[in-house]
Parts: sequence; structure tokens; C-alpha cells
Amino acid sequence: MLPKKVKKRASLLAITLLVSAIGIFFILQSLNKNILYFKSPTDIKNNQNINFDKKIRVGGMVKKNSLIIKEEEIKFIITDFNNELNISFSGTVPNLFSEEKGVVAEGKLQDKTFFIADRILAKHDENYMPPELKDMMKKNAK
Amino acid sequence: MFNFFYNSNLFIWIEKIINFINSIFFVLLISALSFALIFSPPDYLQGDSVRIMYVHVPAAWIGLASFSCIGILSILNFIFKIKNLTIITKSIAPLGLMFTCLAIVTGSIWGQPTWGTFWAWDARITSMVILAFFYFIYIAIHKLISDEDKAIKFSSIIAALGLINIPIIKFSVEWWSTLHQPASIKITGTSTIHSSMLMPLLLMFSVLILYCALIFLMKYKTEIIRIKKKNLKRL
Amino acid sequence: MIENIILMNGYGIFVWPSFLITLLACGLFYYRTRKTLKKYEKEFAQEIKELSLEKRKTVLENSKIATRILSSYKKTF
Repeated sequence: MLPKKVKKRASLLAITLLVSAIGIFFILQSLNKNILYFKSPTDIKNNQNINFDKKIRVGGMVKKNSLIIKEEEIKFIITDFNNELNISFSGTVPNLFSEEKGVVAEGKLQDKTFFIADRILAKHDENYMPPELKDMMKKNAK
Repeated sequence: MFNFFYNSNLFIWIEKIINFINSIFFVLLISALSFALIFSPPDYLQGDSVRIMYVHVPAAWIGLASFSCIGILSILNFIFKIKNLTIITKSIAPLGLMFTCLAIVTGSIWGQPTWGTFWAWDARITSMVILAFFYFIYIAIHKLISDEDKAIKFSSIIAALGLINIPIIKFSVEWWSTLHQPASIKITGTSTIHSSMLMPLLLMFSVLILYCALIFLMKYKTEIIRIKKKNLKRL
Repeated sequence: MIENIILMNGYGIFVWPSFLITLLACGLFYYRTRKTLKKYEKEFAQEIKELSLEKRKTVLENSKIATRILSSYKKTF
């Protein structure tokens, strides 16, 4: 059998780890809202007390055929496939910004369906492939 | 006297492996770099900026893997008091810190052309910064506390606590909405990365792993010489 | 062709620095590790030199490591 000292140290460490793991779990649970980098349109729809003066981030997919570029202003709709949010933005967008791609907008809500962004970040997915392959996939899809 | 002639076989093996890695390292490095920078195709969406992945992802993997090693070995060391384990964890820690910092820096360089920002406090990036802090504290404890038993005790606890952070980093992209994309390479299921880009990624990874092995063995060798020197004085 | 590789459609200014930073950091780290290793080898060799003839003989006969360290130390010169 193991010596008593070894057992004592092992149990001490196990208890410390277990307690801190549970502690961290609860801290993360309570911080859950703050850890989210952006809110989805559904979050905004369901949220009752929105502070309209506070800067927030919203994210989702840019809806197909919703992108309108008028001189300085860019207008589009983001969707999480349940709810939608209109976004207006003037400024430069990242290269990866396009329709049917993920996007995160930073700015203020005007009302529950309209958002004025002062910064746009592009979010890309985990798929990596050469352009030729993407073209092939598009053709196959048609 | 016994201690002085101990583990001589290990020492000879270490020298052999160091020589072997030295002989193949540059050929591998050149081929990996040429695949990563020239022969691999650009991404359909991100274009050539995807090439940053070939240093960013292996660096992050190594950062995570070394801390997992340090954590597990530290727990064993704390419980069973095996002297050799301290040498191992102390040799790995600076490597892990360097690669974690490299992952953060290259990630931030990658973020600018793709996301449109150098920095975002999302869950993945923040937890990675916390990992770097854990490394830093671990190394600082060994540097600052001269009483070795005490240093091992404190650093082991820090390493064990840091171990909790590892699954948080791994799953942060799934648990919370982040700017960072989810993992492309999955242990189970199909990877979402095309083979023509997976190959240079794995090549770069093997080169960096070899580099880590080389540095680790050199550090280990240094430690053995240091111990021998101490024992020589006692002779 | 070469211009293409360097510019990478404008992404070159992001790709090259990240590779350079990685290589530079790794190179520097290797150099420092090697330097400490050589330093300890040198100190070890000096310790052996300071031993009396008899002692040196027993050490070198009985310890493969001591002989190895000495030989790799001599190689660097």
C-alpha cells in the first residue's frame, strides 16, 4: 500500500482541485452573460430591459440579398435563422465581410429591430479549402 | 558515489537523439516552410492570410500540450516527490510560455486582416492570456523561491489549478459565442480543413515538436551536467 | 512570381512578420539554451582539470558521462 503521507498529499490536492473546479464553474455560470462576446438577434428580442445608451455587440449571419450599399452608408440584416435585426453602418468593413457570412457589429440599439453600428468585425467559420474546391462545390450544389 | 554514476545510459541516449534531430531538422524546416508559404493553396475566403494558421495553430497546440504535461507531472511530483519530474517540468515551462505568447501574437496579426481587429476580449483569447499568466507565475515561483521544496509545492499547486483552465480554453469556442472560430481539426469526426492545407499544417507542427524536443533535451542535459558538477565537488 | 510570393495579394505584411517572429523567437531561444549548456560543460571541464591526477582517473574511468561531457567540450574548440 501507499505510505500514509502520500495518501494525505493526494487527498489534499484532490480536494483543492475539486473545490476550485466547482468554484470556477459557478463563477463562469454567473458571468455567463458577460463572457458572451456578442448577443444574437433572439437574445435582443427576448431581453425585456435593454439599455439603449450602452454600447453592445450583436452577431449573426448577414442575410442573403439584404446588403444595400448607399455611398457612405451600408445597410444589412443579420439573422440567427430565428430572428432578424436591421443594421446600419458607415465606414470601412473588413475584407471578409459579405452576405451569408458571420459578422459582429459593435454599437447601439435604436429600438429592438434597428441597430446603428460604429464598428464591424467579420467572423469566419472553421472551414478551410482552396478556391477551386469551393467553386466545384458551388457547381455541385446547383 | 552512487549518485554520481547514475543515469549514464540516459545521458548517452539524450546525446544520440540531439544529434539525430540536428541532422534532419533543417531539411524538414525548409520543406515545411516552402509548403506553408509557397506550395499550399490560398483559402477560398481568407486568401493568403490563411498561411498564418501554419504557425498560429501549432504554437497554440504546443502551448496547451506543454501545460497539460506540466500540470499532470506536477501533480505526480506533489504526491510522490520524484526529483526527476521537477527537472522535466522546469525544462518544459519556458518553451510552453514562448509558444503560448507566439500563438497570441500571431493570432492577433491574423485577426487584423480577417476579423478586422487586432484584439478582442472574447472567451478563447482571454483564456489563452490567462494560460500565459499561469506559465509566468509557474516560472516566477521557481526563479524567486530559493528553497526548492517550497518552490515545488507552490508551483505544483499553481500548475494543478492551471490545469482547470485547459478544458476551458478547448471548449470556450463551443460554450460561448466568440469571435474566434470553432476547432477545424476534431479528434472524432471529419476535419473541416482540406487535405492540401492540412498537410503543411501537420508538417509545421512536426517541425515545431522536433524543435521542442531538441530544446527540452538540451535543457535536460544541462541539468544533468549541473547535478554532476555538484556531486563532483562532494567527491 | 517572386513578387507574388512576397506580396501575397496584400496579405504579405501580415503573413511574413508572423513567420519571422516565430522563427526569430525560436532561434533566440535555441541560442540561449545552447549558451547555457556550453557554459556548464566548460565549468564541468574546469572542475575536472582541478582534480588531482588519481581522482581524475577514477572519475573518467567510472563515469561515461564525465568522459562524454569532456569530449563534447573539446569538440567546440
